[in-house]
Amino acid sequence: MPWYLYLALKQLFPSGRKFPFFTAISVLGVALGVAVLIISTSVMGGFGHQIRLMTVDTQGDVQVRADGFINNSEEVQALLARIPGVVATTPYAQGMVGVLHDSKAQYPGIQGIDPARIGRVVPLQRYLTPANALDDLDDDSVILSKQLAGLLGAQVGDKVEVYSPLLIEKLKKDNLLLPRELRVVGIFEFGHQALDSTVVLVTLRTMQDLYGLGSAIHGINVKIQAGLDADEAAARINAALPPALHLYAVSWMDINHDFLFVLQFERNMLFFLLTFIIVVAAFSVTSSLLISVVRKTREIGLLGALGGQPWQVAACFCFQGFIIGAAGTVLGLGLGFGVLAIRDDIVHLFTRLTGSEAAMLRFYQFSHLPSYPDPAYIGATVVCSIVISTLAGLLPAWRAARLQPVEALRNE
Amino acid sequence: MSEAIVTARGLAKSYLSGDRRIDVLRGIDLDIAAGESVSIRGESGSGKSTLLNLLAGLDAPDAGTLAWGDQPAAAARRAQFLGMVFQSFYLIPEIDALANILMASRIIRAPSETERARARELLASVGLAERAKHLPAQLSGGERQRVALARALMNAPKLILADEPTGNLDEHTGDAVIDLLLGLCAETRTTLVLVTHNAAYAARTARQLFLRDGVFR
Repeated sequence: MPWYLYLALKQLFPSGRKFPFFTAISVLGVALGVAVLIISTSVMGGFGHQIRLMTVDTQGDVQVRADGFINNSEEVQALLARIPGVVATTPYAQGMVGVLHDSKAQYPGIQGIDPARIGRVVPLQRYLTPANALDDLDDDSVILSKQLAGLLGAQVGDKVEVYSPLLIEKLKKDNLLLPRELRVVGIFEFGHQALDSTVVLVTLRTMQDLYGLGSAIHGINVKIQAGLDADEAAARINAALPPALHLYAVSWMDINHDFLFVLQFERNMLFFLLTFIIVVAAFSVTSSLLISVVRKTREIGLLGALGGQPWQVAACFCFQGFIIGAAGTVLGLGLGFGVLAIRDDIVHLFTRLTGSEAAMLRFYQFSHLPSYPDPAYIGATVVCSIVISTLAGLLPAWRAARLQPVEALRNE
Repeated sequence: MSEAIVTARGLAKSYLSGDRRIDVLRGIDLDIAAGESVSIRGESGSGKSTLLNLLAGLDAPDAGTLAWGDQPAAAARRAQFLGMVFQSFYLIPEIDALANILMASRIIRAPSETERARARELLASVGLAERAKHLPAQLSGGERQRVALARALMNAPKLILADEPTGNLDEHTGDAVIDLLLGLCAETRTTLVLVTHNAAYAARTARQLFLRDGVFR
């Protein structure tokens, strides 16, 4: 081992000292920064990952849309089924309705689905109560989102009245159309505020009746082969669709482009801002090493007198920054992943102590704190931490290298 | 004729104190032969330490030339050519006595088992075999200076430059250190230049020089 690395280690971990205070505080400073970065980006990533999963679970990988309506749905689905990479398809139609129950009215979005096919494209049953609600969904029934059911005071088995814009159109022509009475056969909860509060599911035929669509639909959800990129699949479908059909395919990422961008931007900003914790820790490392250079002036002079080169003296202090950074990063990773492993216990303890368990569930919709440690962010954290800590050793290293042995030894 | 270890010709050094120039050394000529022991005495501020720094190659002269052996003095050769002993010991506090001795060798290359054995032998020769694992803070002043002496001898140098090695020690301990220094240098036929205020110590060297007004008197 080169002497400057040996001495760097010895100065950080002196012989016979079980607890080198300066080293422990410096390493802990970096470790806390790394841990906070790991925890924050992993939890943010967890929320993002859940939202992405939920988005794919509700929208499918790719949607095929028309400029207006798709009138030949079966024909288009048969065409899609022949495209390599397409696993299954299911049609949908969507709009807005008024729902009335027990004198309470809400105006949710409505989605018409094909109960026989939807399970092949999106795992809707995973979010349903009871789990077999799709089997019970017929042209006279409805599935409500959980919060909507709560707002309406409706439960499984109750009947709700559904008013569609078609009723207004008919009224304009002096035709009276009665609202559709539908029986609630299930409740769904995706864990997403917007979807859980403002959507009802009916059969495609019911939706077509409510909106007077005939046999037309608004689009087709497509499931693609596992591992196939959704953007690539959308491009493949677009290439295969005849222009005369005026249809186009968009990936779920394109549909939610702005939302995903905001998620990514938030996460990047969080990473950027929290990196300053490491920078602050690095400044304390710089300060401590500078004090060390002043304190060890005569020893630095001695090293020069013994034949040590200025760059080797500089390397000794630079290595101390590097070692603090590396040790702090390893400790921070352990600390960060340790906290992530018991994150739910921490959240439960916090909410129990503050009495905010119900509020947490109501506003944030989670009782389980998600975590998705992204290797890219972990890698960036490790690199940033070690590079910043090593840079923290540069100024003290430069100061040490500039000391002339004769001047340093004279400094008594 | 004995091999020349140090050949200095016309060494001069001056410092600026404010806007006043102080000529510390005014053309020093010095020849020291292999195995010789030389003492340099002088009043405080007479330039003894400045001369020693010039001889060690730690400082550059304003004028004059210096050769170590038959080659010009060069920083790259210093670690192997000479060892230094200072008044304040200058041991590295974070490493034990044995590691401090080995440091002289470690700076040149990673120490081998042979070098480790030599460091242990040197520690034994200065009477501190049992203190190998002790940190400098756990040693007395005399013991620290003995460790520093062993470190100076570690690379088997041709020349030892000792700058007031007893300056921080009591008389009894100082005597013991001088005995050891002169004895080890004589035993290993290492040339010694000893800077001291003490006339008795200086008298024990083969040649005594006295520095006044920047020249030998």
